[in-house]
This record gives sequence, structure tokens and C-alpha cells, in this order.
Amino acid sequence: MKGIQLILLLALLILFISYFRWFRNAAIDKVLIVLIFLAGVSFVLVPDWTTKIADVLGVGRGADLLMYLSIVSFTYIVLLLYSKIKKLENQLSDMVRRQALGGMQDFSKVKNDDQLK
Amino acid sequence: MQLPKIFVVVPVFNEVTVLDQTLSDLVAHNYNIILVDDGSTDDIDIIARKYPVFFLKHLLNIGQGAALQTGMDAARFLGADIVVHFDADGQHDAMEICRITDPLLKNRCDIVFGSRFLQNNSSQSIPFSKKIVLQAARYINYLFYGILLSDAHNGFRALNRKAIQQISFTQNRMGHASEILSLVKKNKLRYLEVPVTIRYSDYSRKKGQNIFNSINIFFDLITK
Repeated sequence: MKGIQLILLLALLILFISYFRWFRNAAIDKVLIVLIFLAGVSFVLVPDWTTKIADVLGVGRGADLLMYLSIVSFTYIVLLLYSKIKKLENQLSDMVRRQALGGMQDFSKVKNDDQLK
Repeated sequence: MQLPKIFVVVPVFNEVTVLDQTLSDLVAHNYNIILVDDGSTDDIDIIARKYPVFFLKHLLNIGQGAALQTGMDAARFLGADIVVHFDADGQHDAMEICRITDPLLKNRCDIVFGSRFLQNNSSQSIPFSKKIVLQAARYINYLFYGILLSDAHNGFRALNRKAIQQISFTQNRMGHASEILSLVKKNKLRYLEVPVTIRYSDYSRKKGQNIFNSINIFFDLITK
């Protein structure tokens, strides 16, 4: 197995586990963003590093390595957003439900807009 | 002995054309009705006002499962002994509510599912494509929850107090019909199926679940 395969597999595993376990831990997101930023900066400043790292990992070119890594990180971001949307959706339905219950009207008793206590 | 309080929860979303008929049928049978308007753009309350119903309104459309949950919360607040889920679009028959609540009144089970397949005569009119989708859904539910019902997605159900307390939908949209099975299993509720007739009008045919929607439900379930 080439190094890159191992790394991508590991990344996928971490993605998978973190999705189910630590997803709401914002600190991890922040650390990741910082790491991605630092890596991006250094690869831009010293493009040869990507090629060197790629060589070590058994990937042909540095550009290919970056592509593989970006696929993994995009997947992570999509999952992150998905879980946030789900959470918001749940909060929203909770709010809408509370509002509906608070404003329940009994049309058998009142013929106007009086609300049930 | 006090009569058990039966509440019929009717979630409604823009079904103005048939709601009038549905409500007048239910009112004729003297049930307590909880109408939950799931953020319709139509003016549901103009029709609701004509009938002695409890009326709740979601400010936004969040889905049938969510509307049922709101109705069940209201029913619990009003001291319901039995809650019946009833579709607003006229495909269920108010006459059959007594049949679907009967096993609960006799304490033979905690939850009753209506089934359109237990009665041969009514299944004749079920559109073929629908039959296939429902068959597939049955076995998918069985795979997931270990409960094999003859009718996987029938919105006509009745729950006793125990079931009302233990069943709480988190699936806002149509996934609740499968979610309810997992909750039945988890809480070890006793369940029964009772034959009901489903009326397929042109209206409900247009509105009902199609194949693409079932795929949505399936993915809602595996990603929850």
C-alpha cells in the first residue's frame, strides 16, 4: 500500500468517526481550519514541498496530492454544514411547535380571536 | 365510569378543497378534533372556524411528522386518552375511527395501525405503482426495525396514553411513518393492525407519495 492510500483511508476513518462522535465540538473545526490555512500558505510559498511530500507518499505530482487532500476536506466541510443545518432545523421546528401550542384556539368555545389560556 | 377522551389529530397543509368535507365528517361523529395547520399558504382558519375544533398553526411549513407531533403535544395537554392520526385529504373514513380505536379501548394493544391490505376488496383500487412502492417500504422497514406490517405507510393510526407518551417524532417530514416503528420496537409497545379503507380520489392520487418521494424517505431514515 502506498502512503497516500493509508493517509486517505485514515482521513476517511476520522471523518466517519468524527461525524458521529465529536461533530459539535467547534474547537476541532477551528484547529482544522488553522492547520489547513498553514499548510496552504506553506505550499504556496514553497511549491516544491508538495512534490517532495507527494514523492514520499507515493503520489506522482504535488498537484495530485493537493487534489486528494481537498476532496477529503470538502467532504468534511459538507458533512459539517449538513449537521449544522439539521440542528437548526430541529431548533426551528421546536420553536414553531412551541409557538403553535401557545397560540392554540378552541373554536368550540370561542367565536372570536380569544386564545386558550 | 368516565368515557375515554378520544382526540383526532388532523395535520393539514394547503388542503382547503377537501378539508371542509373531512372536518364535517369528523364533527358528525362527535370526536374531539385537533387541527394542525402546517404553515399553509391557504387560509385554513376560515374553514376551521366553522367547526368545533382545537386549532393550532405552525408559522412555517415544517412537515407532516412535525405537525402530528404538535397535535399529539396538544392532545396530551388536553388530557387525551387516545389519539387518532387522520389525514385531512379525505382518504380516511371517519366511520372507521371506532374500529381503529376499539383494540385500545379493550386494552389489547398500545398502538393500532390502519392497513389497506388486510381487506381484499379495498386493495383492488390501489394504483399498481403504489402497491410496489408500499411492498418495498414494508421490507425496508422490516430490515431496519424488525416489524413487518402489511401496510408500511398508512397515516391512519391510533395511540393510547402510553404510546402517546413514548412516541415523539423527530423526523419532520414523511419519515415519521417509519420512525414510529422504531419507537414501537424500542419501547416494546403492543401493536395491532386493523383493516381500513383508503379512498383514492384523483386529488389524493395526485398528492400521495410517489416513487421519488419514497427514495427521499429512505434517505431521511438512514441519515437521521
